[in-house]
Amino acid sequence: MTKRLTIFLLAIFISAAAAADRPQAWDILREILLVPGVSGHEGPVSDFIQHKLPAGFKPQRDGMHNVWFTVGSGKPHILFVAHSDELGWVIDKITPEGRIRVKRGGGLLPETAEARPVLIHTARGPVAGIVAPRPGYDERRQQADAPEAPFTAENFDVFLGVSTEAEARALGVAEGDPLTPKKALVDFAPGLMSSRAVDDRAGCAALLDAALRLKADAFRGKTVTFAWDVQEETGLIGAAELAKTLKPDFVFAIDTFVSTDSPLESKRFGYLPVGKGAVLRAVDSSNVTPRTEIGKVMAIAKKRGIPVQVGNSRGGNDGSVFLAGGAVDIPLSWPGSYAHSLIEKIDRRDLEALSDLILAIVSDWK
Amino acid sequence: MNDRIVKRTGLLLALVGLAAGTIWPADLKNLTKELFVIPSTTGNEDLLAGKIRNLLPRGLAIEEDGLGTVAVRFRGPGAPTLLLAALDGYGHMVSGITADGYLTLDRPAAPPHSRFDAYLLGQPVIVSTARGPVQGVVSQPAMHLLTQERRKTLVENFSLENAFVDIGVRSEREARDKGVEILNPVTFWPVLTELAGGRWSGPSLGLKAVAAVLVAVAESLNEEPPSAQAVIAWAAQTKAAARGRGARPALGAARAKTKWDPGRTVVVGVIAAGKAGTAPVLGKGPVLVLAKDEPTALRQAFERAAAGAGISSQFLAATDSPLAIPFAGARSEVLTVALPVQFLDTPSEIVDLKDIQALRDLLERFLRTGGGQ
Repeated sequence: MTKRLTIFLLAIFISAAAAADRPQAWDILREILLVPGVSGHEGPVSDFIQHKLPAGFKPQRDGMHNVWFTVGSGKPHILFVAHSDELGWVIDKITPEGRIRVKRGGGLLPETAEARPVLIHTARGPVAGIVAPRPGYDERRQQADAPEAPFTAENFDVFLGVSTEAEARALGVAEGDPLTPKKALVDFAPGLMSSRAVDDRAGCAALLDAALRLKADAFRGKTVTFAWDVQEETGLIGAAELAKTLKPDFVFAIDTFVSTDSPLESKRFGYLPVGKGAVLRAVDSSNVTPRTEIGKVMAIAKKRGIPVQVGNSRGGNDGSVFLAGGAVDIPLSWPGSYAHSLIEKIDRRDLEALSDLILAIVSDWK
Repeated sequence: MNDRIVKRTGLLLALVGLAAGTIWPADLKNLTKELFVIPSTTGNEDLLAGKIRNLLPRGLAIEEDGLGTVAVRFRGPGAPTLLLAALDGYGHMVSGITADGYLTLDRPAAPPHSRFDAYLLGQPVIVSTARGPVQGVVSQPAMHLLTQERRKTLVENFSLENAFVDIGVRSEREARDKGVEILNPVTFWPVLTELAGGRWSGPSLGLKAVAAVLVAVAESLNEEPPSAQAVIAWAAQTKAAARGRGARPALGAARAKTKWDPGRTVVVGVIAAGKAGTAPVLGKGPVLVLAKDEPTALRQAFERAAAGAGISSQFLAATDSPLAIPFAGARSEVLTVALPVQFLDTPSEIVDLKDIQALRDLLERFLRTGGGQ
């Protein structure tokens, strides 16, 4: 009887231990994708991250909403950083007719928001609106007509369902509120989806998942910092703030690899297929990773059986702001099709490989 | 004894209420939501037609025209008054599958305006297959890889020539394994957005709201028949034009004319609202579309019905729509009564719930007071 009970308890223990070690990155991603966090308004995402982190890591947070924790001691000091902000717009003004105008920018193709639903994230909760189609959208255009003016964020005329400024304000809408496209999770198949804000919530999720699976013996003899920084999309601003106090030897920025795995792109570069593993961004618009470091990462991945692809593409990364301080920047990614769109595509296998790679680097990096 | 009767009656009423809740949802908002999620494009109306059949009161005989149109008849004296709405919305269909599993697109009917196809770029879509819906996205180049010049022209140059639907597969075989076939309808995701002020928004929402209104009218007439004969029809293939010389009538409407030969026809449609501050506008009631200057008996009947029931309505002078053309002969009268829709024929059509209810009330009142006879 005692023997049976022991076996039963052992089975429960093994099962619980296995569950604790199982990657949760995909489930975390599906949750964190829906948390609003336009650059400069990342509070809710930072709350989400902080809430998920084990209290034992003693996470810190600054006034900008950068969140980080450091464990271990000694050299080298390695930093992993993912950005928590997403693309979107900020309300500039409310017209007398109760329509919403936004500030320029946004980072998305404005036409993909035309005649589409958006959410305004007010202090009192989300308020839905529709970006009005351009005036005369349904009128026949003559060949001789002058070319149409481009549809930009400054042209946004967001209809909330009300007809006066007072009615709009009564909904809680105010200047400075962030505005995002209404998100949809497109499930192609289990473990393959598209959504707005995969960039860089997938990085956040991989890093969170790695943090949740992090074991003390992995960082013995070295210093490891995990950080979720803000305002990457508007100029690596959060990372620059962190760089004032954090002086890592190696920084692994976790962000999208802009893949050309799509029917509309040239395959001349950046063709790392979705579903074929994590990515090491050897060259991007902000950094050239030393070949020696590429070799070290690939050796660790090979030893652990983690699929990793190496490629070059465009876009910058947060690690680049630590270069001046003496760090080596080694950006890690997943292959992401349709970057900076409403339909950013990601494969669960790539995300989990990325999370595994982070843990392997924590453990094996010298 | 009395207690048992009360309990049994209560149980019976509860069951009737439950049945009414599942088979005949009386609430117009729920009806609209139920129809909203059903894709329906020209030539692929079967899912919506099937849903409407299921929502109609049991016992009503369904009439068909062989083209996909469904109708119900309420017997009474005189030639029938026909209430005719469209069953099909604008959309696309699968025209091919590439070797690497992307779907190419075509349209079953001409688009409502030249910008319609451009709304596809970078958006989620639903491919409706015989095995159920397949989720996909219309590919968009990564913003990082676009030159400034290409970025400027990307949307203006976007056409079905460079529209590829990604359904997350790598080969034609995998696409077919998902059930995808040529001619499957492709539509925008039916995402309903509830705005302030009792306004709703979504793709093809105007069409679905009107279809729901007619279901609600049919429910009401089933409980208390109209004073004269009436046919309510949801017509297929109204976005396809009948060929031939002269004005091009909607194919589904021309077929309905032949099938039901009505004395009076009320086309129940949608009309663009809120354009540059001009009438019609949202929230001010259904729109009577006046194709002629002189008041007709049908128009006067509607005006009386609206006035009698205190229903606000709007007027708009416009030529007959393709749906009305087949009925505009010497022997019959036709009037278009339309639901005002803001941002019509975009992925975010906006309707006002007050207008939907008013349209239902007006049509019911019209039929109860003689149907213009």
